[in-house]
Amino acid sequence: MSNQRQASSASQTPHLSPAELSYLYTSLSLPGSPIRPDGRSPTQFRPLTAETNILPGTNGSARIGFADGTQAIVGVKAEVERTTLSADTLDAREFDPNHDRESQEGSAAVSGHGSWVQMSIEIPGFRDDDALPVFLSEMMRESLVGSVGADESGMAGGLKGRLVINKRWHWRLYIDVLLLSQPLSYPLPLLSLTTHLALLSTKLPKLKSQGEEDPFFDDDWAVAEYLYPRSSSTLKKSPSQHVRPPVTLLVISVGDNVIFDPNREEIAVADAVLAISVTRGEGGGLKLLSIRTIDPPSRLTQPGIPNSENVNMLGATPAEENALTQATGEEEVSGVWRPRRGGVKRSVVANMVRTVLKKGGVGEEVLEGLEGVEVV
Amino acid sequence: MMADRRRVNGPSGGTRPAVFASLAESGTGVSERAQRQRQPSELRKIFLKTGLIPTASGSSYLEFEPSASLAAARINPKSLIPPSSALKLACTVHGPKPLPRSAAFSPNLVLTTHVKYAPFAARKRRGHIRDASERDLGVHLETALRGAIIAERWPKSGLDITITILEAEDDRWWADAPDSHDASWGMMNVLAGCITAASAAIADAHIDCLDLVAGGVAALVSDEEKQSSAAPKLMLDADPAEHRSIVSACVVAYMPARDEITELWLKGDSSKASLENGDKRSVHEALLDGAVDAARGAHTVLAEAVRESLLKTVG
Amino acid sequence: MAITILPPVVEDFGPRQSDSEDEMSINSDEDTEMGGVSLDRPTKRARLENKIGTGIVTPGEVVTDDPQWMRGHGTYMNPLSTSIIATVAGTINKTNKLLSVHPLRARYTPEIGDLVIGRIVEVQSRRWKVDVAAPLLAGLPLSAINLPGGILRRRTSADELQIRTFFSEGDLVVAEVQSVHQDGAASLHTRSLKYGKLRNGVFLAVTGTGGSGASSTSTKGGVGSASAPAASSGTGGVVRSRRQVWTVNTANGGGDVDVILGVNGYIWISKHADGAAAASSATENVSITRMEEMVSSSIYSSQNDEIAPQTRREIARLAQCIRVLVQGGVRVDEETVMGAYEASLQVDLEVGDDDDEDELHQEGREYLEGAKARHILEVVIHGK
Repeated sequence: MSNQRQASSASQTPHLSPAELSYLYTSLSLPGSPIRPDGRSPTQFRPLTAETNILPGTNGSARIGFADGTQAIVGVKAEVERTTLSADTLDAREFDPNHDRESQEGSAAVSGHGSWVQMSIEIPGFRDDDALPVFLSEMMRESLVGSVGADESGMAGGLKGRLVINKRWHWRLYIDVLLLSQPLSYPLPLLSLTTHLALLSTKLPKLKSQGEEDPFFDDDWAVAEYLYPRSSSTLKKSPSQHVRPPVTLLVISVGDNVIFDPNREEIAVADAVLAISVTRGEGGGLKLLSIRTIDPPSRLTQPGIPNSENVNMLGATPAEENALTQATGEEEVSGVWRPRRGGVKRSVVANMVRTVLKKGGVGEEVLEGLEGVEVV
Repeated sequence: MMADRRRVNGPSGGTRPAVFASLAESGTGVSERAQRQRQPSELRKIFLKTGLIPTASGSSYLEFEPSASLAAARINPKSLIPPSSALKLACTVHGPKPLPRSAAFSPNLVLTTHVKYAPFAARKRRGHIRDASERDLGVHLETALRGAIIAERWPKSGLDITITILEAEDDRWWADAPDSHDASWGMMNVLAGCITAASAAIADAHIDCLDLVAGGVAALVSDEEKQSSAAPKLMLDADPAEHRSIVSACVVAYMPARDEITELWLKGDSSKASLENGDKRSVHEALLDGAVDAARGAHTVLAEAVRESLLKTVG
Repeated sequence: MAITILPPVVEDFGPRQSDSEDEMSINSDEDTEMGGVSLDRPTKRARLENKIGTGIVTPGEVVTDDPQWMRGHGTYMNPLSTSIIATVAGTINKTNKLLSVHPLRARYTPEIGDLVIGRIVEVQSRRWKVDVAAPLLAGLPLSAINLPGGILRRRTSADELQIRTFFSEGDLVVAEVQSVHQDGAASLHTRSLKYGKLRNGVFLAVTGTGGSGASSTSTKGGVGSASAPAASSGTGGVVRSRRQVWTVNTANGGGDVDVILGVNGYIWISKHADGAAAASSATENVSITRMEEMVSSSIYSSQNDEIAPQTRREIARLAQCIRVLVQGGVRVDEETVMGAYEASLQVDLEVGDDDDEDELHQEGREYLEGAKARHILEVVIHGK
């Protein structure tokens, strides 16, 4: 039961005392400049170390480590697979003599299918069908396959389109995410950034066959092509020209402040926790792919008791009435922690999304930073 | 898809009855996509009733009115292919009940949610083992409800919410290739239904909550043949079977009394879509507002259903 | 820049020149023997040192086969032979004839009299179970706490019923180890005005000989440790020292800040609790004679006082300084913490003078990492 509760809430809620929660909340909600427990600015990420292509047995891989020792490894493997139209597509048009046989292959052969991308997340301490890994992988997969590329970028149809070899064959992509230790904070940013890097470094062998032939490939790995085309190093970098894998950012709001890359304590006092997936859109701007709310653990915390209601504050005064009121004490007393209740206003959501998407904002900087990682 | 690794499974694919050419040809209405006959801001009618399951401490049953074309096809079937489906689900609430001895102390009500598709709920049979999408729905539902209930009123107790989906929304028109709507858009309508039904059942079980939380869906749909320049339209409560493609969709769980959202799930690449002239909102804001409007609509039904059941018990 | 992505650092495993760790352990040997009876036996000592060689052993390594030694912690003996074999990796420690191996980084083992900070994990009918970073949970009996108002009486069943109003799950307490059971579990008490519930501050857990860092905020010597100077004492974390609790008069208008270093590696940094102020904040117009009583009754409060943003900033800075020390593998005590704090103030001044950066850049400059952290460590280590 308690395990279930932990698994679905934003992170395994650390047991924090009401006094700590109240201190954190007030510090983080100071108007204008929140004071984070580790001194970061609201938009600052924890520094991380990253490297790519660490696993020779994969098409692409990456490792990211946080300074606190948590690390994630992602391996991407690609397999060639025959495109079979599932039984569902056996549609009536097939028997329609007037119908054009050409279009009958279905658009799956052209635009790709989301199920060609498979994602599995392994987190120590969780079963692979626990709510947390399932929720995380669905969240990351839906933004990955949901992105639709621009026609001129060479990736029409986004990642799905890129996986199409010809009408009868396609690539199947397995993205396996491994977290090396039990997460110290909600692992989403770590997993998403690592997956992004791994996909950036993923290469597919160069196709030698043409058209509708059975595919065969150049076995020279040196000429393999990047899954996500990269700008050649000689040219001036213009990352905005290319389709990029999405990144999912974890954003919390505390009071009026919007805070990025929260650690576990910060999530514990958040009013709202959102996972926002963005990627580069056409024209260099950012585009939004998905938003999900994550259950803020602050709802499950223990409330603080104001001094006025604390039976131990006034010596031995028997306080039966007080004991009754403390359960219903609704009014906010400064310095006393109250678990968050209710939801989040629309304006807060809009503000959080705006902070991610705005030009020169956090989303762009994160994508730029990831682009700068040397892909070997 | 989550496979059961503990036993030997049969082949994953199944078969369906063959469809004969003559049938497909003869019926003109069969191979035509159902058309949305509602206004863009008009919701499907919702049937909601509470207290149907006597053994549970609270329960509700919810049904969406099938779209017009579907209703016609059901009355007068022209094909063996089942017509598109409409949502039907039952929700039971058990509790508050004491936590098991092994559980740690909790100052709050511990909420657990289960969403299960009946094996016959969807076009493709679902096994009895919960798969990834059911777990995903369960997490969404839990987030939506936890914001609404006042958990500290019931310390050290647990509340189980179980939803059985008897008939699920289709993710696409039956004759479409599986890819055209390959993101499971029907799931979003299912979630909205789950939220509304669970909220009614919680009220029926007399659990304190801030407000009746209602679910609503809005989607950007495009009905054009080719990807033309025509702007996709914003539709409330869109039935995926009625549209050629859905660009982006959004579900919210919304509490009108506090004007707050407890759950938001938006997906789809709406970067190329643009709203009508004069609308200065960004696309995602428009979707969010649309979903909230839809939830407002569902809330009126919800409040009415809860009041109705109260009146019945009063006398 | 919102995000810093560094290339991975390869640890340099070059030959180590005259390791300070060795010096340290030998020094400590001498200290203990000075205090003992060994001054008149220089020959024996020389022999032993020749035999044992380095001060560091690994599990399974024979420390000595000289039968004159008795085996202590971290060693075992084969029944048929006289050789003492190490069971943990660490430094050899000799106390008279007792030979023991102290692990370099170990979990906390409670000892009587230790000042510890603990988190309540379970409330039972007559006692609390407290996480003190030790292998076993410590117990805090209801009879070992002060009753509000300092009344001295037997604990009644009424007290048992409202046990959660004293301490509840998640609460942090500062306490003293009263006794240690046979199995190593500690029994705590808070029967002093300095002990009780913690508020007005932040918690942080560090690793080292003190805490095992089992809690969430633990900062292990992770990726960044490669860049830290190697000239450290080898055992970071909190060590038993003369003063575990002191007050810092912080800069930048932060006022007084209390630091409590639990021997178990749990640390609490909070606004200085002024007795009189605490009392008057609770109720107005209290007579001086009742003051003492008021202070003692506020030990079960979970309401924070008003804390100015400047104080919060300095508390955050102190917490970061301790994190930097731990990542650098430096032990944490009053001297090093204060050194790091002074150094971090200096770093801030230098940065402020060097270049006036744009607003955006200034925002994140309170975060201590990379070059700043290295600088602070250098000051702390070489400034000593």
